[in-house]
This record gives sequence, C-alpha cells and structure tokens, in this order.
Amino acid sequence: MSVEDAIGDEERKKNRYHFDRHAPDYRDRAEEITRELHAQCPVAWTDTHGGHWVASGNREVFEIARSAEYISNDHDVKGERRGYQGISIPAPQRGRGNRGGFLEMDPPEQRHYRQALNPYLSPAAINRWIPWIDEVVRACLDEKIEEGRIDFVEDLANVVPAVFTLAMMGIPIKDWRTYSEPAHAVMYTPLTSPDIMRVGQLHMAMQQELIRRLAEIRENPRPGLVNGLINAEINGENPPDEELRGVLGLLIGGGFDTTTALTAHAIEWLSENPAERDRLSRERDTLLDSATEEFLRFYAPVVGNGRTISADCELAGTQFKEGDRLWVSWAMANRDPAAFDNPDQIDLAREGNRHNSFGLGIHRCIGSNVARTVFKRMLLQVFDRMPDYVCDPEGTVHYETISVINGMRFLPATFTPGPRLGPGLAETLETLQQVCDEQRLAEPVTVQKARAKVAD
Amino acid sequence: MKVKVDQARCQGHTLCAMNAPEIFELDDVDGHASAVSEDVPAGHESHVINAVRSCPEQAIFVEDRS
Repeated sequence: MSVEDAIGDEERKKNRYHFDRHAPDYRDRAEEITRELHAQCPVAWTDTHGGHWVASGNREVFEIARSAEYISNDHDVKGERRGYQGISIPAPQRGRGNRGGFLEMDPPEQRHYRQALNPYLSPAAINRWIPWIDEVVRACLDEKIEEGRIDFVEDLANVVPAVFTLAMMGIPIKDWRTYSEPAHAVMYTPLTSPDIMRVGQLHMAMQQELIRRLAEIRENPRPGLVNGLINAEINGENPPDEELRGVLGLLIGGGFDTTTALTAHAIEWLSENPAERDRLSRERDTLLDSATEEFLRFYAPVVGNGRTISADCELAGTQFKEGDRLWVSWAMANRDPAAFDNPDQIDLAREGNRHNSFGLGIHRCIGSNVARTVFKRMLLQVFDRMPDYVCDPEGTVHYETISVINGMRFLPATFTPGPRLGPGLAETLETLQQVCDEQRLAEPVTVQKARAKVAD
Repeated sequence: MKVKVDQARCQGHTLCAMNAPEIFELDDVDGHASAVSEDVPAGHESHVINAVRSCPEQAIFVEDRS
C-alpha cells in the first residue's frame, strides 16, 4: 500500500467503533451498543476479527444489503476465485474448507439453487403441512401436559422445527435428535469455549450422517429437498456432492435453531407480560400476524451476516474497497429509531413493520414461511393448552454470546396440568412418518398440492 | 388508487399479502407477490398503504389519482 493509499484508508475508516460481535459484552449491552452505533456511525469500521465494517443503521443496511452488484456472499474455499470468506466474520474454524451452501454463493449459481428449492418452501407449499405440524406440536405438549412442567426449548421449540425440517428434506423424522443437538450446540457454544472442539466433532458426525442420507436418496429416490437438490440444474449441470454437503448443512442450520430462538424469546416475553399474552390469545385472528412480525423484529434470531465488497464503490455515504469485509446487522437495523417508533418496545399491533430479520435482497431467508408457520402453530397450542404458564427466570439460560443466533438453551415453565389428547411423541412421529410417505407430502407444491390429512 | 409490485425488487417476504390479502397474491412456486388488479377497490386503500409501509424491499408502488 502506498503512503497515499494509507492516508486514504485512514480517511475512509474515520468512523471507528470497537465492536466485537462474539464478545459477551455485545449480548449484555446490545441495546446500548446499538444506540451508540446509530447515533455516532451507522456504518463504522472496527479493528476486531481482522478488521471489518459494521452496518447498523436501517437506511444504510437497506442500501448496502440490496446492492448485489457490489457485495458478495461467496466463500471461495479452494482459492479458485478471489479468496472471499463468505458470511462468517471471522471465517469459522470448523467451517474451514466448507462452503455454507447457496448462502455463500453469488448469482447465477445461488439463484439456480433457490429456484430448485422454492417450490418446497413457498407459502403454498408450507400451508399444505399445517395439520401435520399441529400434530407434532400436540404430541410435544402431551408429553408434558399432565406434569404441569415443561422446558419450552428442550421439549417444544427444539423439537418441532427439527422434525419438520427433516420431513421436508426427506430424512426419517425419528432421527431428529441426531441433528438437533449438534445444530443447537454449534450455535450456543462460544468460539472461545474449551468445548468448541467437541462440539465441532459432533457437528462433523452430523455432516457424515447427512452425506450417508444423500447417498441413500441418490440410490433410492424419495421426495423432499434432498431429492430436489440432487436433481437441480445448477449452471446446466447437477450439483456435485461437495456443494450439496454445504447446502444440506445450510438447511439444517437455517431450519433448526432459528425458529427455536424466536419461539423461546416470544414465550418468555409473553410470560413476563401476561396481559399481552391474554390479549394475543383472545385477538389471535387479527393480532397473530403482526405479533409474529414484531417478535421477529425485536428478537431477530440471526443477528447479522458477513459480506465481502466485490468492487470499489460508495454505498450509504461510505467509500468501500474491493475485498473489504462487512458485517450487516439485521438486529441493529431493526432497532433504528429513524425507521421504527419506540424501537426498543414490543408493540404486538405494530404497523409498517419493515423488519430485516429474514435479511434483504436476493438472499432473503428461503425458510421464512417455515419459520412463521411453525412459530405460530406452536404458540397457538401453548395458548390453548397452557394458558397460565409461568416461565422460571432462575432456570432460564440464554446463549452466552450472540455470535450468530440470539437464542436460548433452557426455558422451564410451570402451568396448570391438563389431560393428554393423544399418543406421545415417539408413537406420533411413527404415524406422521407414514402420513408423510403415503401422501408424498415432501413433494414440491408443483407436484403435490393437497393438504396433509392427519387422522384425529 | 393504483398499485404495482416491482418484480425486480420483490423477494417474497409476503408481508403485503399479510396486510392486504384481497389485493396481493403470492405465487405458488416462489411466494413472490403481484397485485390481483392494478386498480385498488374502494375501501382497501389503507390496507394497501400498510402493505407499502411493511415491504422490506420497498417494492410496492401506489399512485393515487383521487
């Protein structure tokens, strides 16, 4: 770098803020840090993790995240292109050499993958599953209903998204625990934890299991996302296994812990605000949609994503250079007072809630319809069957850091016991596997349009 | 009032159909939105405005000739 460049660099990065997204400090003081960034520098430079930009202002995030011509998600694991490091800052140890599916790709490849998967995940596709999802929720609650005690994370919010994601993929749902623990643990274990190597190995074992399933479905096709991927046309060819591994990992990572985190936070808040809970239950027909969006805004499960600047440019008033790393904070953009009245308060009836929790632009969360539906179906049955639940703050455990997902490990609660309505989880999953197979529910909506039929 | 969804901007967030289900329809395959009709029936204007204000991609445009 020439002296002139160095001075230019100093000038470009004059809005500085020490921001460490992996530190417990960011979890503990998230609102304060967000306010400081908004007030001082909605696009800031931080020297942490090799140095990167942090976009936190709502207007700035909107402009930057949608500028597909200047930002890249590419994770160039083999050094075949420009060496970009994908969406994690810093690139994770455990992910070294692995590309995170189409979330770490740019168009046209990225678009081809999404086109292959959209018909499994569109609103029309997901609506077909509602009676099936309700039955999983029913069984989870039945396991605990007579006891008067439940851990909403362990016994409900960890289970339903996992079971449903596997069903859509075409993987046996009875195996949900094989995937659920590693998917959860990689999110709640801080990078600095001594446990990180063990968790990494657990995650590797899960990846191996996914590879076995991939081979099996290639051999004996069965409907689902995995089959859709095997037959996808990516730039005119079927994708190689090494890319599919990353895509399957992405589907698990996106499908499991995110909805868990959203649901746990909403249930916790509603326990602390029982009048609002009763109102939401009573006025669910008019309030459930807006309340869901508000919980998404307030408790954005994925707090942000990394990007790489792919060409020198000026965006949102900042000069970026090709190769610069950038953290786009969905969570902070959701709390910008310039875009939301009383941003740090939950308003279940909020209108004009233009939140960023599913991201913006071409990488909009492809599972957004899954997340909303599963969240709503869980919440409704909790309202109906455990209307007086009270969470226990003593036993509640939030993630130590919010590196990727702002989630919870435990959320124990008590409630007035009630009667069981049907068989327990294991038996229910056997029945639901049959329903899924016989009715070919995991086919794309272009092939199978009928709604799931589940016996009462 | 006239309404239009810019297909180049829409990413299928579905908030418009949540706010104004009579006005916006979602594609079965990718969930991207379009207006059922360019002309907004009387009485639905406020729902359309809510949809405009809710769209994360700012992809909905209205023209009010009244």
